[in-house]
Amino acid sequence: MNRAADQPEPNPLREGLSARAVPQPCAIVIFGATGDLTHRKLVPALYNLAADGDLPPAVTIVGFARRPKTDDEFRHDLEEAMRKFSRQPLRDEIWKNFAASIFYHQSEFEDEAGYKALAKRLDEIDKNHGTRGNRLFYFAASPDQFEPILKHLKAAGLNQTCEGSWARVIVEKPFGTDLASARELNRVIHNSFSEEQTYRIDHFLGKETAQNILVLRFANAIFAPLWNTHYVDQVQITAAETLGVENRAGYYEHAGALRDMVQNHLLQLLCLVAMEPPTDLSADSIRDEKVKVVRSLRHWSRDEIALNVVRAQYAKGAINGEPVVGYRQEKNVNPDSQTETFVALRLFIDNWRWADVPIYLRVGKRLPKSATEISIHFKKAPAVLFNKDLRALNVLVIRIQPDEGISLTIHAKVPGTSFRIEPVKMDFHYGTSFGKPSPEAYERLLLDAMSGDATLFARRDEVEQAWAFIDPIEEAWHAKKDVPELFFYPAGSWGPEAADDLLVRDGHAWRRL
Amino acid sequence: MPEIAETYSLGLPVEVSKIDQELKKLWQESQGTATRASLVNLAVYCEGPGSLSKNTQLMANITENHACRAIVIEADCNAKENRVEAWISAHCHVSSVGSKQVCSEQISFLLKGGCTTLLPSIVFSHLDSDLPFYLWWQEEFREPMDSQLWPWVDRVIYDSQGWEDFRAQMGLLESAEEEANQRIVFCDLNWTRLDSFRFALAQFFDHPASHHNLAKINRVRIDFAPGHRSTAVLFAGWLAAQLNWQNGKTHMPNELSFVSSSGSKIDIELRERPGEPISEVAVTTADVEFLVAHAKCGDLLEVSRGKPGENRMPQLMPAGKNDPVNLMSEELMRGGPHHVYLHAVNRVRDLL
Repeated sequence: MNRAADQPEPNPLREGLSARAVPQPCAIVIFGATGDLTHRKLVPALYNLAADGDLPPAVTIVGFARRPKTDDEFRHDLEEAMRKFSRQPLRDEIWKNFAASIFYHQSEFEDEAGYKALAKRLDEIDKNHGTRGNRLFYFAASPDQFEPILKHLKAAGLNQTCEGSWARVIVEKPFGTDLASARELNRVIHNSFSEEQTYRIDHFLGKETAQNILVLRFANAIFAPLWNTHYVDQVQITAAETLGVENRAGYYEHAGALRDMVQNHLLQLLCLVAMEPPTDLSADSIRDEKVKVVRSLRHWSRDEIALNVVRAQYAKGAINGEPVVGYRQEKNVNPDSQTETFVALRLFIDNWRWADVPIYLRVGKRLPKSATEISIHFKKAPAVLFNKDLRALNVLVIRIQPDEGISLTIHAKVPGTSFRIEPVKMDFHYGTSFGKPSPEAYERLLLDAMSGDATLFARRDEVEQAWAFIDPIEEAWHAKKDVPELFFYPAGSWGPEAADDLLVRDGHAWRRL
Repeated sequence: MPEIAETYSLGLPVEVSKIDQELKKLWQESQGTATRASLVNLAVYCEGPGSLSKNTQLMANITENHACRAIVIEADCNAKENRVEAWISAHCHVSSVGSKQVCSEQISFLLKGGCTTLLPSIVFSHLDSDLPFYLWWQEEFREPMDSQLWPWVDRVIYDSQGWEDFRAQMGLLESAEEEANQRIVFCDLNWTRLDSFRFALAQFFDHPASHHNLAKINRVRIDFAPGHRSTAVLFAGWLAAQLNWQNGKTHMPNELSFVSSSGSKIDIELRERPGEPISEVAVTTADVEFLVAHAKCGDLLEVSRGKPGENRMPQLMPAGKNDPVNLMSEELMRGGPHHVYLHAVNRVRDLL
């Protein structure tokens, strides 16, 4: 993927080395530094990058949060988290070196003086640690804190940089709760940072297999002629998890599966599957093509929404043989909650390539297994010769997680004197073919943001177009009359029957995962 | 897997003509509990007595991360009788994604007499179709280079560290490549040994503000272990090729010099020190020293930059390991041609 214009000229000593160029030194300021994300994902990702030698010496981390804490206390907390969550075991000598560049800055998010003190501290870090005025602000705080943080960063002059240095901001989802709030959020961000400085993180895009979709499609000539309405019968994308709402009820009650998963992760995957070849591998060329897919999604009328979108909520049931409570019985959930924990959609992309190909998306909590997979179901061969009685299709499956890989189902003759034909699977597993484990999604994405490569981050128009598609569905669900039904499914099942019916009327069925 | 899947063992003795049948049986006996995986054909050739077991052990370790069809060959070229013995086995490891056993199959051969005539036929008949063919040659190359064998090789892997005559060996390889009329990728484990040091040094110059220092380098010091002078010279060759230094000369055996494109002289001192093949590299301009050194503990490099006598902020980076399994793993992870290696070789071919 390409780099931004402010990136280094090629280093002659880098030629031929398998590792990518180390990004420029910088100070990474994490807002919400005492939260789960920082401990479970961000700092472990940065440590693993450092342990692999992918970070320059002068990278410092400044945790910004409300709770009083010293640098040493913060380092100690992180060390404990690292021992639990790091991909690589913690090596004391590397951690000691790495931890020396971690600092804690205590301030309320609304306290202007805290930002002025932060600016001063960052200047000192530049001087003492060689971070050269480069700043990466990571918003791991709740979205309602974004506005005051951005306002005060601007007031403290931290959104601006000297010549030759840069300031970037990474924003965690949710990017708004609807189109209006997403636009407002973008407006607020752009009051302080330009679009080029803004990196909206969707960790699904950092997964090796998500990136491999582009390689599969555009580095293998065999698929290109088949990847269209003439040969593809249907596309299915499933993101299933066995987990329930866990400790996210406060957020989830207001979000639901549609906002939490479909608006971002699933539509991003759909874009990678359905986009046209980009003109080059630059961030904007790829994102230009992705946004065209979202723009081409057929928008439904209110009546059509009831026919093409199914929402449901899990009731009590069992996961892996263990009884679990229903969603409404979960802690901090309204006993009359109307929030969907499952959603299935039947979509169409109204463009030349995908006309009339149904796309089925399904996402849910408390499903029988955790798996995210994309399947491309090819049309049947002409119904002559062997194909008169064949029911199964050729299916190409891209497994995003777990057991990342690709499989293709083809038909083969069963050995014997008769012509019995059965589907067989050709299977590629990343774990089998490549012994080296893939880096965590956050490692890749943090490194990209430091390097100024926005390819795997969502652009403003992608986010807004996705909300423009989602909003009418949410509006229909929250209307005063003719509200589409909220179905229920037992935990541990594959969702309500209504979700199956979505496909049955097209003569299709959900793939068995 | 059945008993014969035990690693480090040569496995089941088989008739050469029945290898395919026996391999098939091997997988049938696993009853679906193991997955056969293969990304390349990796053949290793050695004439040392006992090399079959030694290389079987290496393959067992290499296949943990690199699934392949392993063909391990020990040749006794001076034997009076012409005879071939063969064994089959599998190296199985639990995959990173769960409890599934991932297995690479190995075919082992002991060739007695007539090595040059037997080798191509042995290799050709047992390649896994459509997969690239990597040949790990653990001997010195010698004439005649088999004209049937080389056109089949995609990558030839060797270790120039022990070569007595670098120029002659490279000459043989280059003529084999020319005769084969195809682009064989030359993979020198002596070059792979330099990866972590090259990476550690290169990262100093990723930032544009550091680029000007490259033109100001006037002195380089490379500390190498006994027997690894060629490793150090290759490192010097890499710097010379990438920074366009010309006119390499040897003044004393361990003192080299080059001339930069602006005409300034660069002195390179090679110092023999016990320890790692390369234990320290210092690249110096008039006012900054870039230092990469093995850390006192562990497999880490300590990198720092600064003015002489100034307090430095060292960073730790992975050092890599100098054993055949790790070197081979590094080599198997990379793809594409080795232009940079060939440029480096060409700068120091006469100094090695």
